[in-house]
Amino acid sequence: MSAGLSGVLEFAPPLVLAALGGVLSERAGVVNIGLEGMMRFGAFAAAVGAFFTGSPWLGLACGALAGAAAASAHALLALRYRADQVVSGIALNLVALGLVTFLLETTFGSSGVSPPVPSLPRDASGRTAVAWVALALPALLHFAFTRTALGLRIRATGENPHAAATAGVRVLRLRASCVLGSGVLAGLGGAALSVGIVGQFDARMPAGEGFMALAAMVFGRWTPLGAAGAAFFFAATDAFQRQLSFSLHAADLRLQGIFLALPYALTLLLLAAGAGRIRAPAADGVPYDPEGRP
Amino acid sequence: MKLRDRLVAPARDPLWSAAFAVLAALAVSFAAVLASGKNAPLGFAYLFQGALGGPGPLGETAVKSSVLILTGLSVAVAFTVGLFNIGGEGQLIWGALAAAVAGRALDLPAPLLVPAALLAAAAAGAAWGFIPGALKMYRGVHEVISTILLNWIAIHLVHGWLVAGPLAARGSGSSVSMAGTDPIRAAAWLPRPIAGSRLDLGLPIAVACAAAVWFLLTRLRLGFEWRAVGAGAGAAQASGIPTRLRVCQAMALSGALAGLAGGLLVLGTEHRYPGVFRTGYGFDGIAVALVGGVTAPGVVASGIVFGALRAGATRLQLVGIHPSFAELIQGIAVLLVAAPRLFAPLLVRLRAISRPPGAAP
Repeated sequence: MSAGLSGVLEFAPPLVLAALGGVLSERAGVVNIGLEGMMRFGAFAAAVGAFFTGSPWLGLACGALAGAAAASAHALLALRYRADQVVSGIALNLVALGLVTFLLETTFGSSGVSPPVPSLPRDASGRTAVAWVALALPALLHFAFTRTALGLRIRATGENPHAAATAGVRVLRLRASCVLGSGVLAGLGGAALSVGIVGQFDARMPAGEGFMALAAMVFGRWTPLGAAGAAFFFAATDAFQRQLSFSLHAADLRLQGIFLALPYALTLLLLAAGAGRIRAPAADGVPYDPEGRP
Repeated sequence: MKLRDRLVAPARDPLWSAAFAVLAALAVSFAAVLASGKNAPLGFAYLFQGALGGPGPLGETAVKSSVLILTGLSVAVAFTVGLFNIGGEGQLIWGALAAAVAGRALDLPAPLLVPAALLAAAAAGAAWGFIPGALKMYRGVHEVISTILLNWIAIHLVHGWLVAGPLAARGSGSSVSMAGTDPIRAAAWLPRPIAGSRLDLGLPIAVACAAAVWFLLTRLRLGFEWRAVGAGAGAAQASGIPTRLRVCQAMALSGALAGLAGGLLVLGTEHRYPGVFRTGYGFDGIAVALVGGVTAPGVVASGIVFGALRAGATRLQLVGIHPSFAELIQGIAVLLVAAPRLFAPLLVRLRAISRPPGAAP
């Protein structure tokens, strides 16, 4: 069973980080479907950074910066130009898909994987630093949201931006910061994937993890602890499924598809069962118009 | 005004911003290729040649455009009732599988078998599209999340289980088959009228569907009710429209269109459900719909443009550019379309030029 547990701690961090990024953005009132694209940029930038500087830590930093850069495009479109936030996020994902494949081709001359890059050092129990971050950060964010004035302002901006503005909150500026922050987190998540876990960039990264992070966020009711818990749950079912496929014979391997589909089906069922009580932040996705009626 | 609100009404502006977005995206991509040191003019020449240069390329363009038009229509129909259908991928997969199974199992002459298989594809897609609609209406589950989850479920169930196991081509032994399902009967193939080209019935079918959707949305009462629901579900409900039922119907049609796209892929191009299925058309349908201004004629136009891009993109390898470049162009175009306000001053000027003075705006 401990093998299973370590599997979860190994594979969960990217999902946890991205899910936390989603929470940060959406609690401030900006829908962020672009987590997948931000993770992709982060994963690639981290691999490139680690490769050319020889340091996985600098790679991580590059990943975070790339995620922030991608998020800034989303913030610009959503906040300055008041574009539809779902569309903007989808556009970001599409651009990330094509651009990163193109850059992979131009930088490393490959359309499949990058060469191996320096990856994060592991401690005695085989953990990288990101595993600890994935455990500590949700608690930190929870504390920040519920106990600090900044957290209160963020939550207010997501629920009723006009009231927040009346109380002196710079709504657009705060939202932009949160979107950038969510980009940093998602970028770090992608970086954790390429530099922390796999040791290279794969053209398919993050292979849908950004969307799973969204599901984790919804499942976790837009709270840091809930989203992180959901992310760990998904990683656990993933690890369970992987263990199962190791112990199956070749003939049974054809059932693998059912096991692979299980986490998603389970999530859907749980959402359908409990969805009536889940509510996104009230002003989530609504472009903020300073001169508009509240 | 939110983009989504603007898109529900019949649109004139989106045509300008879409055309501008595509041209701008091409220009940006051209610059990107130049910056990366590759031969941009030659590459783009190959691109156009690969899309339009002769019956072979035109056939490829037609084949890819037909699939994109249908997935684009799927997204557009869902938009009409105010929902984002990101589930085109899963709906397409089930439709493709249904067509492959029907095309193999049914012993009918071609004029009956082809429609039957396509109908099966549409029905399968409709079922998979209905689910997120019902979940949203009756359980409050956001359709972006549910459709994405359903995509993954479809991919794993079909690729990882059905096509690898129970439906795998016979004679593949005990190992996991990579060959897909058994090939469909020859009678189920979509006819190819021109030798040397893969042009088939797909494009006429797709355009006919677009015409039918346009007719439904603009001329039939049902379409009017859908648009009313999309413009404001509360007001629609108050005026007696059964909102939840309408949304489920629209999502079923949306899924059916995507499923039909999958059917076209199987009956026209692959002739089986392949072991390695290049998915991604479903997701691209979103781009097609957005760039096309979410109207049926717009979707046809942008479907053809993006189909041409995809058909020509394989030739980009001749100058060392990966074919996924077409996705990049597509993504940039969507990015530019996502913020019509970016072009607002330009659009106002263009509108003023194209309209005679004194006419109504």
